[in-house]
Amino acid sequence: MDKVRKVLILGLPNSGKTQICNNLTGTYNLVANYHHTTIDVNRAYYEHGGVLFELYDVPGLYCLYANSEEELLVRNLIFSEEPDVLLFCLDANLLKQSLMLGIELMELGIPIVIALNAIDETSKKGIWIDTAVLSSTLGVPVVESIAIRGIGTRKLKNAIEKARVPKASIYYGDIVEAGVAKVVQELPEDFPFKRKTAMLLLLNDRFLEKDLISTCTTDQYSDIQKSITAITSQFVGSIGKAIYYKRSEWVDQLSEKIVKTQQFDQRSMAKTFAKMSRNIVTGIPILGMIILITYFLVVKVAEKITFIMESYLWKPVIDKISGFVTSPFWWDFLLGSHGVLSLGLGGAVLTVLPILSVFFIVFNVLEDIGYVPNLTVLTRRFFSKVGLSGYSIMPIVLGFGCKTMATFTTRTISSDKEKYIAIFLIAFALPCAPQIGLTMGMMGKVGFKAFMIVLAVLLFTELTAGVLLNLIMKDDTKNTYLQALPAIRIPNVFAVLKKTYYRLYMFLKEALPIFLFSAVVLFTLERTGLLELTKRLLAPVINNFLGLPNDMVDVLLLVLARREAAAAVIMDLIDKGRLNFNQAIVSVTLTTMFVPCFANLGAIIKEIGFRRAMIAAFFITTSSILIAGALNKILLFFNHG
Amino acid sequence: MNNCTEADEYLESLWYINEKSQGAVSDICEHNVSRLSEDTRGGLSDEIIEKLVSENFIEIDEAGKSIKLTPKGLERARHIVRAHRLAERLLYDVMGKNIEDGACEFEHIVTMELVDSICTLLGHPKECPHGLPIPQGKCCELSAKSVNSSVIHLDELDIGKYARIAYVNCPNDQLIHRLNGLSIRPGVTVKLHQSYPTFVIECEGMHIALDNELAENICVWRESEFIDGSKLVAKTKKRKFPFLGRLKK
Repeated sequence: MDKVRKVLILGLPNSGKTQICNNLTGTYNLVANYHHTTIDVNRAYYEHGGVLFELYDVPGLYCLYANSEEELLVRNLIFSEEPDVLLFCLDANLLKQSLMLGIELMELGIPIVIALNAIDETSKKGIWIDTAVLSSTLGVPVVESIAIRGIGTRKLKNAIEKARVPKASIYYGDIVEAGVAKVVQELPEDFPFKRKTAMLLLLNDRFLEKDLISTCTTDQYSDIQKSITAITSQFVGSIGKAIYYKRSEWVDQLSEKIVKTQQFDQRSMAKTFAKMSRNIVTGIPILGMIILITYFLVVKVAEKITFIMESYLWKPVIDKISGFVTSPFWWDFLLGSHGVLSLGLGGAVLTVLPILSVFFIVFNVLEDIGYVPNLTVLTRRFFSKVGLSGYSIMPIVLGFGCKTMATFTTRTISSDKEKYIAIFLIAFALPCAPQIGLTMGMMGKVGFKAFMIVLAVLLFTELTAGVLLNLIMKDDTKNTYLQALPAIRIPNVFAVLKKTYYRLYMFLKEALPIFLFSAVVLFTLERTGLLELTKRLLAPVINNFLGLPNDMVDVLLLVLARREAAAAVIMDLIDKGRLNFNQAIVSVTLTTMFVPCFANLGAIIKEIGFRRAMIAAFFITTSSILIAGALNKILLFFNHG
Repeated sequence: MNNCTEADEYLESLWYINEKSQGAVSDICEHNVSRLSEDTRGGLSDEIIEKLVSENFIEIDEAGKSIKLTPKGLERARHIVRAHRLAERLLYDVMGKNIEDGACEFEHIVTMELVDSICTLLGHPKECPHGLPIPQGKCCELSAKSVNSSVIHLDELDIGKYARIAYVNCPNDQLIHRLNGLSIRPGVTVKLHQSYPTFVIECEGMHIALDNELAENICVWRESEFIDGSKLVAKTKKRKFPFLGRLKK
């Protein structure tokens, strides 16, 4: 193979790019039915016809004008990598919106191939798209695909080889065209995609202007600025509007040529569900039902799984090992209270894995049907009370999935204040998917009332933190809330199971070594007497202030390593009757809020810098202890321990 | 062009210069004579200046270099600009036509009452199709929402109804890009699905949630044009976008 061909997958958010990438390369990246699932560039390779292809899967975007860092990342990638082929993933459901992006991509002059995705959904809606006319009008190969079911992959592989530079272009009128030509001449020699760059500069793209300042001489830059001012001043008002009108006209004409629509619109279950989930009267009960069903599934089903695994798998094996090991030291090392097998492996596989399996299935179904973004409609007003008006609602709602990923999606927020509040709230009292699952599991052992108390405390804490931060921090730009909602669809069983499998696999891969390692560390601390010393030192806080038994020191040490490991110990303590109703609530609340996990902390540092991340982490840890202490006192007052 | 129209054009130009240099109209505008003559078509004629001075629309300093709009002149200029930009909206939204020729004629004819009626009819638009601010009139201050208003704000639309977007009052460039990416633009038909707790519209097959402020800034034609979805396609008028900015010269 002499050369690697670079292929960049581009398209609107949630148009199926990652799924196509997975199909082409046979790798697996998380796919979900909402925007911003992909927040970084994923690279994968595949071979076809003796040629090696390097595939870049990138976040979705609506236009090449960069509104956020996330969109800038994509544009920078196009500009810096100068890919050989653009694989434009065109969402058939959102033809016009896709074509708006499409015409911009076509203006780059890179060979393009189009994957017309999700045609199964359009055909259900009575919309028929003439692929042949689309292909001949644009002069590029177009392949129909249903990515989620893997249909069209083979054809796409062949088509990528036949990618062409599109012949479609828009004439923007004499003034713009002459102006663009002038700016193109003035741009530095090595600037890529000069025509596109000139267009974007006319549209006042602040990121490109920064690039230009760093690469040009002062004279060059001022010349370019002068030309741009000369062109834009020939328009009364915004030149952007003029350019967009031309594009809209092109899109309207093209779609009129290729789309035929039946008037009969089926009323589907999915649509009704979407509507109900967004309406406040039906939406809140639906949300409540979802939480309730999840709770009972997690508590009851996971309990059953644990029971079956314990009696048929774990017990026989442990009994065998117990028979083999005669040395007390090794028995303690393997099977003691801090044993590698009993605490490490047992905690991960017996206690945590069943809960996560059930919870991930439920959560993945919710993701797959597209429920999550619809929640933002329901919760926007609530969030606006804590100073979150715009883009930040989606990241926060995503925080219920994974805090690390949600922290990265705050890149879409342009207001500094909102970004900080969002990151802080995500890291603080918001439980992520494994935490919700585990909280349900833990509280399931104590009762539904306990679960509701924990939920209420977390909600109250989050709200108070938000309101306070909103008051303290200075206002900057106001964000407009404008959120595209994905279509609700029937969950795809295969996709849900596959995703659950990968999430569990990732959990075991990442967490199991930490579980085992933590057990070894705790065992060593115990043997050396350091654990006892720590317990004695922390006793005033743990025993008196938080009202918890000394064993909780183990838990807090484990939280530092991995929350799931701590949860396993808490569950063990509840099972053994060492934590009563109050103590269980306090310890679960404390561990949910306590220091952010390492991955999340890493993400926070990356987004807002080391210093501010440390301040946030400090406040979170301190407040979590204070709140847990206060909760202990309140619970004692009402329940008398 | 007769003298009267020409005088109006000068006053309008003074307003434009002021708008460009300051972004807002102050009570008194002061301008350099030479700059004014550059910015007005065909330069200044002494006859017109004399007429404007004698009618107390402008004042010229003793050196003859600086021109000032008097309060009376300011009010006249404001009326002309308001009429011009409202006319643009009317021609552009209602007829989908090239907006320049008609609007220029229009601004000299219409009376204050007629301008206010058009403003009300169009739902008190905040900016012209080019994105420039339309000076507010008495009707806007009273925010008169008469039954004659053909253009209403999205937040006034009944739930479940379809409507065609007439125009969007867009506060910043960034939002224009985002709205265009989502196909929220004039001429497009939207359906309002819900308004509480958040506005949800359907636009070109996409469901979009937006806040109240944005919903207020999206102006749509009153429903009479669309009775229900089934008549939509037949009734949707094809929009043309013939203009590419208003050339000054």
